[in-house]
Amino acid sequence: MTPQLTLQAPVELPPPELTSYLEKLWQHDLEHSSGASTFTLLVWQPAWVEQHLVRLGRLEGPVTGVVRPEVLEAAREAVDFCGLPPSTSPLAPELAMALGEHTGVDHVGEDLRGQHVESAISAYQPRRLITLAPTLSKSAGLETLVAAYCPLSEEGNNGATCGDVVVLRGDFDALREGLSLLQPLVPDDLPCWVWWNGSLEEAPDLLAALSSPGRRLVIDSALGPPRRCLDLLEERVNSSTAVNDLNWLRLRGWRESLAMVFDPPGRRESLSHVVHLDIDVEGSHPVQGLLLAAWIADRLGWHFVTSYNMDGDAIGADFERSDGTEVRLKLMPVPVGIPSSHPGTIVGLRLICEPDDRQPLCVILCSETGGCMRLEAGGVARMELAEDVVPKVPGSDEMEMGRLLGGGHDSTTPLLAAAAPLAAKLLPH
Amino acid sequence: MTAVLTNPLRVGLRQERVIPPQCLVIFGASGDLTHRKLIPALFELFRQRRLPSEFAVLGCARRPWSDEEFRARMAEALSDEVADHASAWEQFSSGLFYEPVDLQVPEHLVRLGQRLEGIDRLRATRSNRTFYLSVSPTFYGSGCRALADAGLLNDPLRSRVVIEKPFGRDYGSAEKLNRIVQTCAKENQVFRIDHYLGKETVQNILVLRFANTIFEPIWNRNFISSVQITAAETVGVEERAGYYESSGALRDMVQNHLTQMLALTTMEAPGRFDPEAIRNEKAKVLQAARLADEAEPWNCCVRGQYGPGGSRSRPIKGYREEPGVNPNSTTETYVAMKLFIDNWRWQGVPFYLRTGKQLPKRLSEVVLTFREAPVHLFDAAGGSPTANQLILRIQPNEGAEFRFEVKAPGSGMRSRPVDMQFSYDESFGEPSDEGYVRLLADAMLGDPTLFTRGDEVEAAWRLYTPLLELIEDSPWQLPVQPYEARTWGPAAADSLLASDDLMWRRP
Repeated sequence: MTPQLTLQAPVELPPPELTSYLEKLWQHDLEHSSGASTFTLLVWQPAWVEQHLVRLGRLEGPVTGVVRPEVLEAAREAVDFCGLPPSTSPLAPELAMALGEHTGVDHVGEDLRGQHVESAISAYQPRRLITLAPTLSKSAGLETLVAAYCPLSEEGNNGATCGDVVVLRGDFDALREGLSLLQPLVPDDLPCWVWWNGSLEEAPDLLAALSSPGRRLVIDSALGPPRRCLDLLEERVNSSTAVNDLNWLRLRGWRESLAMVFDPPGRRESLSHVVHLDIDVEGSHPVQGLLLAAWIADRLGWHFVTSYNMDGDAIGADFERSDGTEVRLKLMPVPVGIPSSHPGTIVGLRLICEPDDRQPLCVILCSETGGCMRLEAGGVARMELAEDVVPKVPGSDEMEMGRLLGGGHDSTTPLLAAAAPLAAKLLPH
Repeated sequence: MTAVLTNPLRVGLRQERVIPPQCLVIFGASGDLTHRKLIPALFELFRQRRLPSEFAVLGCARRPWSDEEFRARMAEALSDEVADHASAWEQFSSGLFYEPVDLQVPEHLVRLGQRLEGIDRLRATRSNRTFYLSVSPTFYGSGCRALADAGLLNDPLRSRVVIEKPFGRDYGSAEKLNRIVQTCAKENQVFRIDHYLGKETVQNILVLRFANTIFEPIWNRNFISSVQITAAETVGVEERAGYYESSGALRDMVQNHLTQMLALTTMEAPGRFDPEAIRNEKAKVLQAARLADEAEPWNCCVRGQYGPGGSRSRPIKGYREEPGVNPNSTTETYVAMKLFIDNWRWQGVPFYLRTGKQLPKRLSEVVLTFREAPVHLFDAAGGSPTANQLILRIQPNEGAEFRFEVKAPGSGMRSRPVDMQFSYDESFGEPSDEGYVRLLADAMLGDPTLFTRGDEVEAAWRLYTPLLELIEDSPWQLPVQPYEARTWGPAAADSLLASDDLMWRRP
């Protein structure tokens, strides 16, 4: 989908004039339009990798915050340039940190973060899109930019329904200072979504301030330390405050493919006889794999017993089925030549069921982009084999966000609410 | 260990759309449809957690019931479900209300408006309203007008009206009713219901055709030699004699259900999955359809009426002996006909439609028969090779079947037909929602994809106008032919196909 630019070039204003300018904008420039009665979307948009790539001249600007193919390509090349392991994902915070250590001539690129409205999001007509754009510079004061946007309807109706775009740009301190401007900008009568599109550890105070309980927080648990990601999910679930996770949404294909294997009624009995679950993930970020394991365990009613570290950075866990039989989980990081965009993407899954009076069943699901040789090895020949390839979930993070916004749910999805606390237990302390 | 009955991994995976806060107003709430279909469908939606907490049902009819009486009657009608899900019913039924309303009395409409405002305050339904006209068809037009006059349809984003079948009795009355309805509300507020479109397998026709690449290239006159569409019922007229005597099989089944199956089977691919794009294509193909012989419709249509049948121990009454039926009735309980579609895709391909009551099996299916291989290289076990057939089974045993020739085992090179089967039950094993569950949800979501648009309804009536006029003006030219109950209809229906060297598929 092509990003839509704002209706007008954003106006840069002194921060104190922001509110009065917005009022003027609606009274004069947009007086023939109606304000969308939808929601506010607050986005934390650091785009560290993209900013560094532009700074180092490895990518042509502008910086948009949208993960374009050029950004991914330049980031993959930078993994090698920084001497990181080839399995490092192009969006991994480690890459941004490694790039940050390279100094030299700083290239200056235009910063358009917050001014490109992805059509996957603009289709839902946010009433106000507020972007917090932290800069690489440690001494950048607060800049505020404002613009209106009116998504063009395909039906071409005349009465445009418009929203506005606000960008707060600056270093961490400047953005902290900008927090006081934010509250009046969030209409009380509309739902407010907060998309933390960065690592969860980089500005905990800002994250806490933005994601106050009434707001619908969206994180990406592939970004940031696994313990921090899972603890945050668990905290929000336990306190019944809405949280969504793009990393969980990206599991959709795996959950659907595994459910499909057991759709034929003849296979369902086997689900009561699972003895082993293996999950392989890219690199060393286990959260997506743990969420999948937790979902399976929750759906099949297994009781968590213990979890532990194993050789080769693997994670092991023991469960007990309702009939008392032990189920073993092994989550194994595997190196890959061309890693996916997000750290810890699942490569393969193997589920072994041993019904009492039937041939054992071995289910192997394999990602479209990787191989499953490790899972296919090891005595599965005597079993009934159900193998399938899990299609890559198409679309960008913006499209996943669009899906969330379109769904309109104001609470955590029950499946994630059940899986996240268990996934937190599965990660050994 | 007990067997796993449902797939636990499937739970919660379907991303269901969220129905916005609203009040569903049912006119004719004391009637059968409300307690047999509508309230059970709503309770099912509630149990699937697809209704928002800000939801209410307001039953309206002339009877002077109270809220409590309405709730008690609904609970009685749904006693099995209520017993199984007592706490869910308690929660659901707290959102059921009743208001005595006669749509012809303006003061009642004023009171209705006030009651709705009260419900908005009580249940936070935000003035979103779906009005369901489950009343006698003669009141569809006046009902819409009454709602419009009371200002209840003023907001096209917050109000919509659902109209049950039949929409008109013929082209003229449908056109007139459309004109009335369209002066009361915008087309996107009007939801003309055809519960066949709520069936999973009817919707699957679209998916099968347009989500696969192997079917569409051969889905045309170059590869398909004929199409049969059958909707067979094993029941008789039951308690619907009053309605059925004035409608007959043509109005009751063909003009709506069979025609919708015809449209989905023959329409062009829409540019996108969008209600208007789909309905445009359906309307276009219906506008191109015609009876095989419009000038002399008796050559392409057969009407039948079931007579007594069954066995000595379980005799079945003939139609004319059914309670409430005129002993000299000439209403058809069976109809078969041949149609053509005059467009590039279907020119020259005959479409055979049939429906009837008291037939040997209950089934609905679409059968596409492909052209024979141009040269027969092999001996066929059955004498001659069987043409390939794709059978879309709408009900029961929902699924699809593809029939093709294979080598019969043995030393020779003889061919014989085999069937490749897909069954919803075997593949998914989950019962699909009842049609009204899907359609009610869609109406409340404001999604008209599975509802018939005004021009579609008119095109469907126009298609059968020569036949309806013939039955009206000179019925002796198309008499009802008797058939024994639980047989496959009158012999003349077989002759209709025999003249084209074809036979009805015997399922």
